[in-house]
Amino acid sequence: MAYLNIDAQAQNTYDAIVIGSGISGGWAAKELTGKGLRTLVLERGRDVRHVTDYPTTMMQPWEFEHRGQLNREVREQNPIISKCYAFYEGTEQFFVKDAEHPYVQEKPFDWIRGYQVGGKSLLWARQTQRWSDFDFTGPARDGFAVDWPIRYADLAPWYSYVERFAGITGNKDGLDTLPDGEFLPPHEWNCVESHFQKQVAARYKDRHVIMGRAAHITQPQPIHLQQGRAQCQHRTICERGCPFGGYFSSNSSTLPWAAKTGKMTLRPHSVVHSIIYDEKLGRATGVRVIDAQTKQMQEFYARIIFLNAAALNSNLVLLNSTSTRFPNGLGNDSGVLGKYVAFHNYRAGVSAQYDGNLDTTTEGRRPNSPYIPRFRNVYKQETDFLRGYAAGFSAGRISRSNQDGLGADLKESLLNPTLGGWYVGSHMMGETIPKESNFVALDSSQKDPFGIPQLKISIAYDDNDEKMVKDYQEQMTEMFTAAGFTNIRVRDDKRNPGLDIHEMGGARMGKDPKTSVLNKWNQLHAVKNVFVTDGASMTSTSTQNPSLTYMAMTARAADYAVKGLKKGLV
Amino acid sequence: MAGAVGGLISLPAWASGWTSETVRPLNPFLSRSQDELLADLAETIIPATDTPGAKALNVHQFIQKVVADCYDKPSAETFRKGLAAVDELAQKSFGKPFSQGDTTQRIGVLNQLAQSTDADQKNFYSMVKGLTIRGYMSSEYVMTNLTHYEMIPGRYHGCVPVPAKPISQTK
Repeated sequence: MAYLNIDAQAQNTYDAIVIGSGISGGWAAKELTGKGLRTLVLERGRDVRHVTDYPTTMMQPWEFEHRGQLNREVREQNPIISKCYAFYEGTEQFFVKDAEHPYVQEKPFDWIRGYQVGGKSLLWARQTQRWSDFDFTGPARDGFAVDWPIRYADLAPWYSYVERFAGITGNKDGLDTLPDGEFLPPHEWNCVESHFQKQVAARYKDRHVIMGRAAHITQPQPIHLQQGRAQCQHRTICERGCPFGGYFSSNSSTLPWAAKTGKMTLRPHSVVHSIIYDEKLGRATGVRVIDAQTKQMQEFYARIIFLNAAALNSNLVLLNSTSTRFPNGLGNDSGVLGKYVAFHNYRAGVSAQYDGNLDTTTEGRRPNSPYIPRFRNVYKQETDFLRGYAAGFSAGRISRSNQDGLGADLKESLLNPTLGGWYVGSHMMGETIPKESNFVALDSSQKDPFGIPQLKISIAYDDNDEKMVKDYQEQMTEMFTAAGFTNIRVRDDKRNPGLDIHEMGGARMGKDPKTSVLNKWNQLHAVKNVFVTDGASMTSTSTQNPSLTYMAMTARAADYAVKGLKKGLV
Repeated sequence: MAGAVGGLISLPAWASGWTSETVRPLNPFLSRSQDELLADLAETIIPATDTPGAKALNVHQFIQKVVADCYDKPSAETFRKGLAAVDELAQKSFGKPFSQGDTTQRIGVLNQLAQSTDADQKNFYSMVKGLTIRGYMSSEYVMTNLTHYEMIPGRYHGCVPVPAKPISQTK
């Protein structure tokens, strides 16, 4: 019998295990297999294969039963996920339904998840700005979190590395707040966006309007064609899955690349229960998995483990990985695991009209828009709140038709719309401050359908966020006014935290093991063969979108891990 | 290079699996006669001219499906009540069921609904009109032949002159 057990153990043993197959897990899979490691990729959801498993990707608008509108039952049964902007009749299949995966909202938190191979990389809005040294040095300067153990220079070559492979469109703008990257040609501006850009440049030295940087292939390079990906076709229905691979997803890019090495084993329906810690060896030896279909618990073993379950679920896995050595969660000697969770604040927006440029309009569609990098409190503290916000910006024209009449007159007017003026809009992307009081923990009484404790989420806005909302509204109104926009309207939708889908932290990086969970290599201070390279590792949140940073950190950590394995450091 | 991209051309089975039959509601929300009345209402709002009207484009089936599947119960109830009121109003106005009226008589009934002091009737009117416009404008016929929807534009031009004619009159 002992012989058989050893055999089974050998069969379940790999060089590396990656937990999660989303943006960062896909990169871990690609890097580790690319370096020759036999890698098991665990995904709790079902398999989603590029092209064949995008059921709505080629559907015309009229082919949807309700022309896109959500079914009442789906809406009523999913009050949380229904709030997400990308959840509609064509995308339901890629979102976690509320009832299937419960969690405890100690304070209101809209947790948006995609449990399938590729995770949320199928659904993301694809904005990919680098973080700058203002972001990595910010906490030390402002004292709002612990100091990051890395600086921009540590990540810069890795940003370049992942950008070239993923395919990022953008313009080299030469801004210190937003370092340039390895860009494919930028998307085109429209006349009113250019107008706004010039007006802002003329009036403010330190405020810039630039074309968004996004994970779209505007001009395929050989590396993209080798992945089987083609030029972005401007369909702007990305969230249904792109059959061209025009935008970056794990499904179209990193996972098939990893599969081609012959070193990857992808195991869907694998809900990770915990990481196994061996007290004698003083290291993690594997992962306990509950098969989502059979509900059987199984163990898999490896020399290194990459945890990429998405920020809050990575916290959950660590918290649930208890042992005599780590009674409060794996690597949690500091007691900060699950704490200092932060997110982005997308509450506010400003819209207006513009009566100029009425002789021009736009043609085609663009899966991207201009962007206003953070300009508040960059060089010095100038407001009564910490940190700042970036903003999205775009302009367009709306066709209107008179819908008053009935009969042939109405029909005639519907088919002969007139172009209204230009509308402009902006939304804020504010940095929130990581605080001990914003935390996640395991609920002691409630279990999920797999018998794993539910995650209890206790996260809220604070006074800093309120001040930031107000400042964004005021500053954007001032900029819009300067550009000659009229009928300016500000909003604050007071959405719950979480709906921005940029939750970060809980297993933060830091120099001091007493106040952080991970070191500068995204390695658990206390368990050197476990790496966390998704949003859980973020010490602070910046104002930029985080996905590109997860990619760069993952590639960097994988490189370190494999080199370290050889040197015996891991 | 051609090899790498070639793999994208084979389409999965679902891509050609859709037909208009598969989107018919499983449990019809309205009886056949109510469905016909709804069709005549939609046709009155957007009639056949030199192009098909709402009835030929099955806009009434879309309306029925959206109300049955997507609307909350009170709105669906308002819809049913409104539909029942149509024939009563028609009988009062011109002594026949709505469907037997001529265009002027039918439009007269719709205007009565629009101006009704009964909130349900007014809401019913807005609902049917709004859904008729939506169903018509998002129908395959209109999007393909009249408004020239492009699934795959492949481009974005930010500053082009405003076209001289509305898109429905080009091509």
